[in-house]
Amino acid sequence: MHVLLIEDDIEAARYLSKGLKEAGYSVDHAADGRDGLYRATEGKFDLIIADRMLPHLDGLAIIAQLRERDDHTPVLILSALGTVDDRVRGLQAGGDDYLTKPFAFVELIARVEALLRRRSNNEVTTRLRVADLEIDLLARTAHRGGKLIELTVKEFQLLEFLMRRRGQVVTRTMLLEGVWDLHFDPQTNLIDVHVSRLRQAVDKGFDLALIRTVRGAGYTLRDDVG
Amino acid sequence: MMRLPLALRSSATRLAILYVLAFAIAAGLLLWSVFLITQRLLVREFDLVIQTDLRGLKEHYDGEGLGALTAALNRRSDSWGRTGAVYLLVDPQFKRIAGNLSGWPPVQRPVDDAAPGEWLEFDIVARERNENVDHPVRAEIVQLDGGRRLMVGTDITESRNFVQQFRNAILWAIALTVLLCMIIGVWYSRGLNRRVRAVALACEKIISGDLSRRLDHDGSNDELDQLSSIVNLMLDRIEQQTVVLRTTFDSTAHDLRAPLHRVRMRIEETLRQPNLRTDSRSVLNDTLADVERVQRTLVTLLQIAQAEAGAPLAARERVDLTQLVDEMRDLYAPEAKRRGLTLEARSEPNVTVRGSRQLLAQSIANLLENALNYAPGQGSIEVRLSVENGQRVVLEVADDGPGIPESDRATVLQPFRRLERAPVGGAGLEQSSGLGLSLVAAVVRLHRGRLVLTDNSPGLIVRCEFETFRN
Repeated sequence: MHVLLIEDDIEAARYLSKGLKEAGYSVDHAADGRDGLYRATEGKFDLIIADRMLPHLDGLAIIAQLRERDDHTPVLILSALGTVDDRVRGLQAGGDDYLTKPFAFVELIARVEALLRRRSNNEVTTRLRVADLEIDLLARTAHRGGKLIELTVKEFQLLEFLMRRRGQVVTRTMLLEGVWDLHFDPQTNLIDVHVSRLRQAVDKGFDLALIRTVRGAGYTLRDDVG
Repeated sequence: MMRLPLALRSSATRLAILYVLAFAIAAGLLLWSVFLITQRLLVREFDLVIQTDLRGLKEHYDGEGLGALTAALNRRSDSWGRTGAVYLLVDPQFKRIAGNLSGWPPVQRPVDDAAPGEWLEFDIVARERNENVDHPVRAEIVQLDGGRRLMVGTDITESRNFVQQFRNAILWAIALTVLLCMIIGVWYSRGLNRRVRAVALACEKIISGDLSRRLDHDGSNDELDQLSSIVNLMLDRIEQQTVVLRTTFDSTAHDLRAPLHRVRMRIEETLRQPNLRTDSRSVLNDTLADVERVQRTLVTLLQIAQAEAGAPLAARERVDLTQLVDEMRDLYAPEAKRRGLTLEARSEPNVTVRGSRQLLAQSIANLLENALNYAPGQGSIEVRLSVENGQRVVLEVADDGPGIPESDRATVLQPFRRLERAPVGGAGLEQSSGLGLSLVAAVVRLHRGRLVLTDNSPGLIVRCEFETFRN
């Protein structure tokens, strides 16, 4: 997977490139907005990570120009502003996700992965299935091993969110944003309580635990053994 | 105070009504006195003619006797007497001797506005176009020697008609004056109201974030126009300051976050090395935790600063508070249960406000976290949402913890004023920076609302008041 990183903070860019390469991505780096836009239009990238404030050309302007040229490469915006309004503007400009600096590297990787996978699975589905767990998106019901699982509305949404990203690491912030549409960090680990309740409902009494904790990162739902 | 009807609440309308009334009363008084004076003059004129006529006839009688008077009366009644003149000479038994009346009038009206002498008014019946018409007559009587009486009068029908027409004309004049005044008043107050409303509308747009908007001015240089120019100057200054503030704010945020970001990246990169010594790893983990704490405080501080600066929200939307309160209750209920507390919400349906869903959600979260941290074991937390008087949205979060003494309630809303009360909740609380309530207060202010702390005896009620959503 080919990632373009547009970031004027050279040191931060170096750390990010290194981390992304270690995670198996090939990374191109542009240090200002103009260069970034040039590379984005010349090269073929699977994902662009763009800083919000850049010399010569603003991150949002880059996205706007790309979208104008009908280029829909997913863009992850990195911003040191982090206000509610800034986030809204970023997404309105055509950004696909927004991350406020400073962020944990695992958060970035989880989001990069989510954006890359999102591209490849666009077909409309009414049923999701992982191992013997199956949910019906129309009837909003969940079954495991043929047995109905009682879930609240939010628990169902949480399960759907995890199942749509099977095998991916999903961070607590991503769950809070994706399931609750809340874009701030609560002081308490609310998400853990909700996931553990969901786990009680989904995994209790089965040999294979589908919902797993990824230490220092978040959760993942997968059916491989190990 | 009693509420005036909507139309009367405008000071321009009230002023116009006042002017119409004052002008109408003044014009009415003036015209009415003109009327009275004219009427008086007319009567005097008649009376003078009658008096002169009567005196002349009496002199005739005194000088030349009854025969001469009778002849004079017959002459005047027949031919060249003045128009509308009425004469009657009677003997002591009120029998007609001479004159153009057939007999002494049976019904008489006393006269109270005449010169000294014996005066009376009565009606005579005249045949006009086959109809009997009453003609009022005003007359003076004089006693002659030998018990005879001489009456000289004038048919005052014409004058009565004239007075009547004159009065009608004056009443019409007053009515038209009032009407004209009212039309001018309505036109004037409409115009003024329209201009004031335009200013108010523009100001509302500005308050809700459109700082580049200016008031219209038509160059007429009247008071309102001058006011608009001054307000526009003021807006220029405010806009300039806001831009400076925003730039400062953005660059501060950027300048603090960028180095913090690098610190975090470095620590994380080092932590990813597999052959790190255990003690180093633990030091770095502690450092990372501290960086996170700094980061959290910084985020909140910047949010408070931005909200307090009144930077208009780009993301103003219709927020269903009922739904948001339910969602937040659902989000926090399991955590409350885990801590042995009950968390309940009592909301009126479909309560909406205009604002930022994110900031409102964060405020509710902060209030709930505060309550969670301070509520005692087995305690209960209640979120209440209601609309008061149909126009004020009230969101309350009540706990039964130790509460806040009244003397501390004002200061606790200021940043970093953490109370000397011990949270009872448990883990993670040493991270509380004392900024939670300050952020709530700033967000409420940003939404043009009000935050009040009250006693739940025992416990604390945080009460946030907002305006209801209006289109």
